[in-house]
Amino acid sequence: MSRAPLWLRRYAALIRNAWLVDLQYRASIVLWLLWGVTEPAVALGIWWGIAGDGQVAGYARADFARYFFALMLVNQLTIAWDSWYLDGWIREGELNFRLARPLHPAHEAVAENIAYKARTAGMIVVVWLVVSLVWPAVRLPLAPGRWALTAAAVLLAAAMRFFISFTTGLLAFWTTRATAIMELHAGVSLFLSGRLAPLALLPPAVAGAAALTWFPYMLAFPVELLTGAAQGRAVVTGFVGQLVWLGVWIAAYHVTWTRGLRRYGAVGG
Amino acid sequence: MGQWEDEFILDCGLRIADWRWRVEVQGNVRGSKRSLTIRNPQSAIRILAALWRLNLAEELQYRANFVASVLGTFFWIGTALLTLAVFFSHATRLGGWDYWEVVVLLGVFNALTGVIEAVLRPGIGRLAGEVRNGGLDLVLAKPVDAQAFVSFRRLDIWRLSDVVLGLTLAGYALHRLGHTPSLAQLAAFALALASAAVVVYALWVALMSLAFWFVSVENLSVLFDAVYEGARYPVSAYPEALRFLFVYLIPIAWTTTIPASALTGRLRPEIGLAAALVAGTALALSRLVWRAALKRYTGASG
Repeated sequence: MSRAPLWLRRYAALIRNAWLVDLQYRASIVLWLLWGVTEPAVALGIWWGIAGDGQVAGYARADFARYFFALMLVNQLTIAWDSWYLDGWIREGELNFRLARPLHPAHEAVAENIAYKARTAGMIVVVWLVVSLVWPAVRLPLAPGRWALTAAAVLLAAAMRFFISFTTGLLAFWTTRATAIMELHAGVSLFLSGRLAPLALLPPAVAGAAALTWFPYMLAFPVELLTGAAQGRAVVTGFVGQLVWLGVWIAAYHVTWTRGLRRYGAVGG
Repeated sequence: MGQWEDEFILDCGLRIADWRWRVEVQGNVRGSKRSLTIRNPQSAIRILAALWRLNLAEELQYRANFVASVLGTFFWIGTALLTLAVFFSHATRLGGWDYWEVVVLLGVFNALTGVIEAVLRPGIGRLAGEVRNGGLDLVLAKPVDAQAFVSFRRLDIWRLSDVVLGLTLAGYALHRLGHTPSLAQLAAFALALASAAVVVYALWVALMSLAFWFVSVENLSVLFDAVYEGARYPVSAYPEALRFLFVYLIPIAWTTTIPASALTGRLRPEIGLAAALVAGTALALSRLVWRAALKRYTGASG
């Protein structure tokens, strides 16, 4: 017999818990959201000025607007803060009671991600709908098939970013600068995952090199799937890249988790 | 044991009540001289010197942080330059500024980041948490001006390397521009940069004062980061509406665009005076906000 009902009950409880905790800090969450959307908003402002009435590598003003609105949404749906949490758990000994539970601590983190993303992405969707009423540039074509594909890609990207963040946070078993490593990762992802500009606007060599890493698959690919920029073969390679890199990061997580726990000398109470 | 505990708690409670009463009475005495105010410059300098000496001794224990800080700054500047490279691969100018002019602005931005990270974030940036858990009581009980103490109590000396590196970058970019600033331009730049620091400070005070209204918000400083993100590029590069916002409502245009313009000669040196005027206004307004906010504080520690 499957254990699905048990896991459903567990997750329902965990998500409910995370949702209620977040509810206490709803003003904080709005601020994080605001912080999250300023970077794409500023990038959009600059590209808007550069594009003028013409085009930049095939992107006109309206295309930039759609791209960066999609980016805001996908970024909120896939962002993972876990490395910061884990760093604190490990260094301050808050991991101890989580290890004592009959449930892997990662499940709590996953539930927290689901609750947080449902809330912030919901807010972005509402804002986007309101904006698109007055600003036709950001309207998306009605294409349920594409939206379904995007949903799948967003799910894979969110899983990948979760494992990246979680694994990097686990480095706190060895170093006190785990969050600095995550910031380094964020700095590189600014270019290679398409946060600054659509990858088509980067020098071809850079875009080519990016395709060999996991960066485009964690953000740029689902964004371009949503805006319709990714077509045909690119869709297939995108999903293949996502699956491959997700596998790699899950493996990396397994190694760091088992090795790290062996090293862990609990601190605090 | 239980009885002893009760007595102890009662005793503590009485003491705190007495202490609070004294603070209130003393705080309300008119004409009482408070240290760390502009009216009392000598003692202000002495207090700040003592605080910062303590900080310095503390920070010198963590010399590895200096290396980490400098590496971080290099990484950040590298990222920013690559960002510009991406923009300039599709445009010859950004809002009418050419590449090295924007790099001058980047240097100014980095110098101000150093001031923020060295003084403001570790000082007034901690205010939100203290309003929530009542730590501010301890500040208010001190015979000093609360705003000045909260703002300048800490100095993370290593982050001042950002100021040096930022100004060096601006100097190098000026060299690449082939522009040697005149004495008037340098003076205007110095005035505009000082004004920029004041505007940034005023923004922090105004934003952190919100903590008195929204007590549960612990990450208020994020609001500043969000706003300051717009200061990375010249305001002329933005669409009309954003430009208006940055010049008049949230005056971040005055923090980077104006000092950089004064240095490269894009604006006449008189702009330095305008910048000082804006800074004075911003400072006065932020002081009003602070006063109004502090009135709402009721204390939370026990």
